[in-house]
Amino acid sequence: MKRLFVPLLSALATGAALAAASIGQPAPAFTAVDTSGKVVSLADFKGKHVVLEWVNPGCPYVRKHYNSANMQATQSAATAKGVVWLSINSTSTDAYDYKAPADMAAWMRQQKAASTATLLDADGKVGRAYGARTTPHMYVIDPAGRLVYAGAIDSKATSNPADIQTATNYVNQAVTESLAGKAVSVATSQPYGCSVKYGSGA
Amino acid sequence: MSLFRFLLLLVAVAPAFAAVPGAVVTTPQVRAELVAHAPEGVLPGKPLWLGLAIQHQPHWHTYWKNPGDSGMPTSLQWTLPAGVTAGDIQWPTPQKLPIGPLLNYGYEDQLLLPVALTVPAGFKADKLDITLHADWLVCKEVCIPESGEFAISVPARAATAGNAALFRATQAALPRPLPAAKASADLQGETLVVRVAGLPVAWQGKSLGFLPETAGVLQNIAEPAAAWNGGEWTAKLPVDPQRSAGPAVLPAVLTLPGQAAGLQVDVKIATAWPALAAPPPLPSLGDAVVTAPPPSPVGLFTALALALAGGLFLNLMPCVFPVLSLKVLGFAAQAHNRRALLAGGLAYLAGVVLSFVALASFLLVLRAGGEQLGWGFQLQSPAVVALLAALFTLIGLNLSGVFEFGSMCPHVWAAARARHPLADALLTGVLAVIVASPCTAPFMGASLGAALTLPTPQALLIFAMLGVGMALPYLLASAWPALARWLPRPGAWMAHFKALMAFPMFATVVWLVWVLGQQAGIDGAAALLAALVALAFVAWALGSPSLRRKARWGFGVASLVLFVVTLVWTLPALHETPASAAHAEAGWEPWSPARVAELAAQGRPVFVDFTAAWCVTCQVNKRTTLNRPEVQADFDRRSVVRLRADWTRRDAAITAELTRLGRSGVPVYALYAPGATGPKVLSEILSVGEMRKALAGLP
Repeated sequence: MKRLFVPLLSALATGAALAAASIGQPAPAFTAVDTSGKVVSLADFKGKHVVLEWVNPGCPYVRKHYNSANMQATQSAATAKGVVWLSINSTSTDAYDYKAPADMAAWMRQQKAASTATLLDADGKVGRAYGARTTPHMYVIDPAGRLVYAGAIDSKATSNPADIQTATNYVNQAVTESLAGKAVSVATSQPYGCSVKYGSGA
Repeated sequence: MSLFRFLLLLVAVAPAFAAVPGAVVTTPQVRAELVAHAPEGVLPGKPLWLGLAIQHQPHWHTYWKNPGDSGMPTSLQWTLPAGVTAGDIQWPTPQKLPIGPLLNYGYEDQLLLPVALTVPAGFKADKLDITLHADWLVCKEVCIPESGEFAISVPARAATAGNAALFRATQAALPRPLPAAKASADLQGETLVVRVAGLPVAWQGKSLGFLPETAGVLQNIAEPAAAWNGGEWTAKLPVDPQRSAGPAVLPAVLTLPGQAAGLQVDVKIATAWPALAAPPPLPSLGDAVVTAPPPSPVGLFTALALALAGGLFLNLMPCVFPVLSLKVLGFAAQAHNRRALLAGGLAYLAGVVLSFVALASFLLVLRAGGEQLGWGFQLQSPAVVALLAALFTLIGLNLSGVFEFGSMCPHVWAAARARHPLADALLTGVLAVIVASPCTAPFMGASLGAALTLPTPQALLIFAMLGVGMALPYLLASAWPALARWLPRPGAWMAHFKALMAFPMFATVVWLVWVLGQQAGIDGAAALLAALVALAFVAWALGSPSLRRKARWGFGVASLVLFVVTLVWTLPALHETPASAAHAEAGWEPWSPARVAELAAQGRPVFVDFTAAWCVTCQVNKRTTLNRPEVQADFDRRSVVRLRADWTRRDAAITAELTRLGRSGVPVYALYAPGATGPKVLSEILSVGEMRKALAGLP
């Protein structure tokens, strides 16, 4: 019995640290502050498609997609169709590559990002609610508030920008299919990138 | 032997004893070296291993074949001579590398990734030239993707065993396959229950680690809830809620602290994995253009306050003011009987409120029954417009003294009014509402229309509040007749005032004739005017106080006959004419849902003006905003196509579209930006600033 108890307890403890949403279920509600200090909630966008993008300028995989303008193009394509795009940075304040709100805003501006808002999640609440593991990690939510895609931005898990052109952009695909009223063909994929730099407190 | 020859000999022999030189790539994080192990030379059938040896700087790590929650496994791309093949990387047993709530699998410090090579049977070359391109991700707090190009040449007829110790140690750390083990699993909800039997005795009863070789199936960070049942190990492993794989066999490595090598098992999963696809989308809301969410509802209290204010404002309308003012003036004569006056005031209030609620209920019932009606519906029917025009004509004639109700049946009428003062007041209230109705649509069409879209109790409450606002001045005047004392003493001026009030009534008739003209054309307008003249004749004949009985009868009959003849002649002209193209103003196209969809498909911005001839707010907005040169210039600059949805007469398509936009009255201004999912609905009182701002916001 004791042999079962301790692992069970630790399973409960660690398993609960990263409760994650699942496909087809309601996407977890959240409220966060954007880089300009405005409070933004998922509920503000009820009735619209929402894309969540976990970002960290310090990660080479995020830079792969931003330096090649692939992320910005994906953002523009989505927002032009009325989709709300939220870029979320869950890097903890004690992480090596933590960026203060003003710096984060400046970086997004410099990259000419086309997201609707950039949210700061330094305590990692939003990231943990969604089970965000990597940067980038992408989620698509439909107007009914259900998660319809979770995973990588595209199908080639490398740090080489040359692979972007030959990869399938899963976010473009999911958004296009969902807007057209079709079921999303690839609902999950293995996300790739650097780990989200959550704080040391689990 | 000379020194020279000795040195030459040394140089010639040296390679036989030296380690084969390997290409080395050094970065600030790692020292990577391509090493070879060919203890018996390079010959078919002899062991031949190559490997990438990575010496990590302290705390830096690279990743296993399943990197875990993040990261990237090291990858090797060989360039080999013809016929030589390379196997897969033999991954040593990795470590668990937790990072906050995430877990990775990887290696620190010294690592060798060995690969077995096979040479073809006819291999006769005296050396093997190999190049390697390797990519690895090395992380500590930040991640740095690195790569290296390596080249070595392995001599065929000499032993290459300089790194034998490293290869031996790595061999010892490779997960040991267990052919005797039976590993199976089945899926129970969100948990994979794994059972492994046949594990070595030294491992039994211990706490084991379970490292899946396939990514995207299990939750890595969760410690398995495990138990031993004799020699069988059972573990409950949580499945990743966002899993991206559903394999039939899950290869995994079991680890035991203190053992360098893990045990490799292939777990056969008995249960079929549920489909990974997202659920089908909810039934779509219909047509091509998805509507915007309805505008955020004004709080109920705000709506009630606005309705109250609207009702008060109604009293100033040309429809209501004359009737109201004359009634109030009448209080001056009754100032002594306060209780009766107050009762009359309350009865009036009841009449007004009940009439509004009845009107709203009637409309709601019709709408529930599927009729495409909105507020202003009363003015969409030429018949109703004509009747209202007739009513106002009669009231105007009455006020100007052409006829008196009392003259027709003097005793009966006056007696009835005297006997039932409360009923009289109630009916006055009802009359006031009928008389006010054409004046509500022009100014309050949109807000009352919005009220109709609310839940029934709230909608009726708003209409009741409108009634309260309208009845309030009368009620206040009846409660405090002292107010009447402020008015001048009754005198001849009252007759003049009464006649003066006739003119706003006639002005309303002119406006109603114009509305009818929009609906039924100029012929309809002329027909109505003819009917009104005949009606005036009837009223004078029957009600003029100056006529005597015989004259009254004579003129009365003649006028009635004339009236009937006029009606027969004019009624056919009072039907609606089909919408004439002459209505189209320059720059505006007629609206249709198909046209909007067509323009949206072309990527053009579209502005739709939902308007009606009888809607005064619409006309005001047109004059003050839409027709302004700077707004027109903005429209042209953005190539916005302007469509006009004319709701002057009943139009089910427009009513349906208004309902979809969350409204049921006009005006409504909708701006469709290219690529947006729905229109932006602007406010009823459209200012130039708001219009220009909305246009500037177009992509």
